[in-house]
Amino acid sequence: MTLQTTTDTLPAPSRFSVRTVLQNAGIGRALLALIIFFSVFTEHFLTPNNITNILTQITINLVLAVGMTFVILIGGIDLSVGSVMAFAAVVAGKAITLPGFGPAEAIALAVIAATLTGVLCGLINGAISAYWALPSFIITLGMLNIARGAALQVSDAQTIYSFPYAFEEFGSAMIYGVPVVFLVALVLVFMAWFVLNFTVFGRLLYGIGNNEEAVRLAGQSVRRYKIAAFTICGFTAGIAAVVYMARLNISSPIAGIGFELNAIAAVIIGGTSLSGGRGSVIGTLLGAFIIGVLANGLILIGLSDFMRQMITGVVIIFAVILDHYRAKYAAT
Amino acid sequence: MVAATQTAAQAPAHSTQFLSVERLKKYFGGVKALDGVSFFLEQGEVHALVGENGAGKSTLIKILSGVFPYDHGAISLDGQTYRPQSPHEAKERGVQVVHQEFNLLDHLSIAENISIEKLPRNRFGLLDRPELNSRARKALDAIGLTDIDVKAPVSTLGIAHRQLVEIARALQSESQILILDEPTATLTERETKRLFELVARIKADGVTVVFVSHHLDEVFEICDRVTVFRNGRTIATDLIAETTPDGIVQRMVGRQLAGEMVSGDEQKDFGGVALSVQNLRTEANPTDTGVSFDLRYGEIVGIAGLVGAGRTEILRGIFGIDPVRSGEVQRDGETARFSGPGDAIAAGIGFVTEDRKDEGLILDMPISANISLANINSVSQAGLLKFAAERRQATEAGEKLKLKYGRTADPASSLSGGNQQKVVLAKWLARDPKVLLLDEPTRGVDVGAKAEIYAILKDLARSGVALLVVSSEMPELMTLADRILVLAEHQIQGTLQRADFSEENILKLAYGQTELAGGNSQ
Amino acid sequence: MKIFKLAAAAATGLALLAGTAMADDKPKVGLIMKSLANEFFQNMMAGAEAHQEKRGDYELLAVGMQNETDFESQINAVENFITQGVDAIVVAPADSRAMVRPLKKAMEAGIVVVNFDVALDEDAKKQQGIELAFVGPDNRGGAKLAGDALGKKLGEGGKVVIIEGNPGADNANQRRMGFEDSVAEYKLDLLDSRTAHWETEEANTVFSNMLTAHPDIQGVMAANDSMAIGVVKALESAGRTDIMVVGFDNIPAVGPMIEDGRMLATVDQFGTDMAANAIDLALEVVGGGGELKGWVKTPIELVAAQ
Repeated sequence: MTLQTTTDTLPAPSRFSVRTVLQNAGIGRALLALIIFFSVFTEHFLTPNNITNILTQITINLVLAVGMTFVILIGGIDLSVGSVMAFAAVVAGKAITLPGFGPAEAIALAVIAATLTGVLCGLINGAISAYWALPSFIITLGMLNIARGAALQVSDAQTIYSFPYAFEEFGSAMIYGVPVVFLVALVLVFMAWFVLNFTVFGRLLYGIGNNEEAVRLAGQSVRRYKIAAFTICGFTAGIAAVVYMARLNISSPIAGIGFELNAIAAVIIGGTSLSGGRGSVIGTLLGAFIIGVLANGLILIGLSDFMRQMITGVVIIFAVILDHYRAKYAAT
Repeated sequence: MVAATQTAAQAPAHSTQFLSVERLKKYFGGVKALDGVSFFLEQGEVHALVGENGAGKSTLIKILSGVFPYDHGAISLDGQTYRPQSPHEAKERGVQVVHQEFNLLDHLSIAENISIEKLPRNRFGLLDRPELNSRARKALDAIGLTDIDVKAPVSTLGIAHRQLVEIARALQSESQILILDEPTATLTERETKRLFELVARIKADGVTVVFVSHHLDEVFEICDRVTVFRNGRTIATDLIAETTPDGIVQRMVGRQLAGEMVSGDEQKDFGGVALSVQNLRTEANPTDTGVSFDLRYGEIVGIAGLVGAGRTEILRGIFGIDPVRSGEVQRDGETARFSGPGDAIAAGIGFVTEDRKDEGLILDMPISANISLANINSVSQAGLLKFAAERRQATEAGEKLKLKYGRTADPASSLSGGNQQKVVLAKWLARDPKVLLLDEPTRGVDVGAKAEIYAILKDLARSGVALLVVSSEMPELMTLADRILVLAEHQIQGTLQRADFSEENILKLAYGQTELAGGNSQ
Repeated sequence: MKIFKLAAAAATGLALLAGTAMADDKPKVGLIMKSLANEFFQNMMAGAEAHQEKRGDYELLAVGMQNETDFESQINAVENFITQGVDAIVVAPADSRAMVRPLKKAMEAGIVVVNFDVALDEDAKKQQGIELAFVGPDNRGGAKLAGDALGKKLGEGGKVVIIEGNPGADNANQRRMGFEDSVAEYKLDLLDSRTAHWETEEANTVFSNMLTAHPDIQGVMAANDSMAIGVVKALESAGRTDIMVVGFDNIPAVGPMIEDGRMLATVDQFGTDMAANAIDLALEVVGGGGELKGWVKTPIELVAAQ
């Protein structure tokens, strides 16, 4: 009475991505609808320059959201990414303006400083919440304050400026109208997608998000994987800091206030479940696009700041309701 | 084979058809969950619904209790159409359900849980605690739970007591029909007996009880009639007095079961001691001596005992999940210090846990991913998953365990209870364990799958694996085990050899007695 | 319980007073700042500390805040200063209404209060029946200086946009109104006005989008220099060199931009000295000078390329 296996010829990864595509279909359609709407109702939306603008504008949020996807997949949350980004930017800003280095060395130093700072903060977040089994919400809320305070302390609350010209070049470089910094973000998305779908590490992250106890009883070190997820999130905050610096050519200690919420919104709109275990980084990519297109389009259409804020809120709530129904259909 | 004829139980003209269900159908998307269900209930009867998992009993209950609407057919209750839009409406009409999964709020008190649907208020509109507690007291006393503090939080209760609290809650309101969905799955014999007395009492009050169970002896003990489900249809309704357990099983599975209950005295040769437990005391164990026993290769040792006797704790202690207070575990004669499940697994031990949903399976993940969870290294290289190898592993395990599934990429949640349990087994078998710990290996599993799981476990033992099985079902232990350790209050009260196996002996030891019927304890 | 608390507070107050009286006769000045996360106030604080060291004839107790809207801790600071028995409180209020009541209490306790940076609300003052001078720059006038510089360059009909500070913040409102005054005076064409919450990255994003919607923008008025930097970066990425930008605050980072023409002008309100000046005025009153009245305007200056 075994019904099997001749039909089961599709390789598992493509099955996985077929499901991913299905899960993302709703959000993809929503994005398409937004794009069509703004194309019809505004003059400049679908122009090469504006598309370049949108890509530039979503880059930082996308980078942060990629790391956030890892943390949310294991059922955690990281509220500190905005502050950690500012801290990393300030540390890197100090590094890049150190006297006695050539531009190439200074830039390398800055990139290393930013990512190390981010990784360190993420590691602390992960280690504390994993070892004491504490809710990451509150640990990262603490880190939000620590990193912000550290950013102000290190910078003495001053904007750091005058970076090497080459760094600025990198920040505004384009390939066929596509900002290089956005390509960096895309590479991160691809890497995250690969890790989550094709590696033992990714598999176990999904497992932990779904049923931590089952993974633990299967002999896996749940703590280690949790710490790794938060560390990745810190790393992307460091990369976001580099993008910030390259794009604006300054480091501001008050950068990134509220960015964590935008990153979380991108992840959730992208269909990743806030309780963990379900979702994909491709969804996150689409979620970041929705937020970016909305912010851009609503300005082009001439809506007031306050209306804009309200509509963004409505979209977030709508996305979560959508997710609720997705989960329900997945269950039956 | 008994022909599935229309039996005498089909609607005698004089009977009071209290609730009748006709040609009920229910679809989920394209899947037929119910495909023609017809039966009726008489007032004041105890009516059993039986069938393999996935046969449609749970769906029917959810429809009766207002969780799902139905697509075709008709239900009438007390002469009126019955189509509840919500559980609330179902309750208003007097249909109460005690679900298989508990609906209690862990951190609230027992009293609060019992009255949660209608919390009493005093004249200031505040919660009336004295009334709340006295109501709960009354409800618990009514089912004989006189020794429980109603102010204690539910989280302090064992799983069996939670079940009884659920029943107390359901019985509190005026109910015409009480549906008990596998109420004995978690109960010990004594608690089951208490439940049956309770059922007899409410039946005498004129309440109709619908009883869903995988235990046919229970069905024959307390039910008046039985309706058999198969593949979303009702096959037949019989008067209990006119049928036999064998007859019902045949209707359920549509085939004859191998007589696996033989308790022959086959002599076996066991290998060396695979696992030796010396004075093991977990945090939960209050005794000074702890627990000591040996487990040999090729041997199946059963652990019996009442709920709360410390059975699961022993397995968790051995596997390194819970901290051990004192004593030690020896693996192949050498002292083993397991700081976590990973160490135990590395030492060749596997643990099939009691709770599939919370501990055993990752329900949303593919079957293949569940099977590879404990030995993911063998289906990966340098951290990269080898999907083909993983799929092959799942397919092979599926063949070996007679797993019924669609594709290996389907989520584990798509399987029936029995097949889910097979996936948990497959997960551990994929590691070729030398020692396998099993906690309630067939809980919530239908009769057919049960027999298959027994055969698998016996094969394992024959191939030299040492098995340690905890179970609340005495027939299960008597079928499987070469020896049964009976626990009472965290100590081994006695050990039974096959020759001494009987429910009576197990129960006596479990209740702390040492005089046995057919031999001596060791 | 309450009585006990009051008594305790009074006791500590007395003890403190006695202590200071015995130590020396240097007057104590309590300085209440806004968010020290803000570069502007950070510099102002440093200026005040340098000033205290230079003068040396008073004691400085300074308190900052967590963020721009954290007026709760300002209120607590006023109460603590009353308890500590300072001679003067010099305050940059975070909320022009909420601070009036606690400051009234301080005045009733005989403390000289000087309000700087942002003026307390006139109606609220009237309601509490107090008169309190304001020492500070004219944000509206300053913004108008910058706006006028832009207006002069563009001439009548020049198309401009405004990048505002935090909606609801007093100085943000004042600066926006100053820009609007220039718009009216030079008959400029105001295409759009949006907030970027004082922040560089947001200004960069918001302005890029405004530029897409209105490619014919000729001038930008940013309510602070941090946002002006974001605008300048957006113009660089868009390859536009024909659009003129003015800012406010004269932070060091915009120095090079004004020099090489990426920014037209900014406004210096000498923030570094502002607290120090207010302290000087307060000490004059403490030392027996006449009371301050009305609005003591502090200098502002347009900064543009030579």
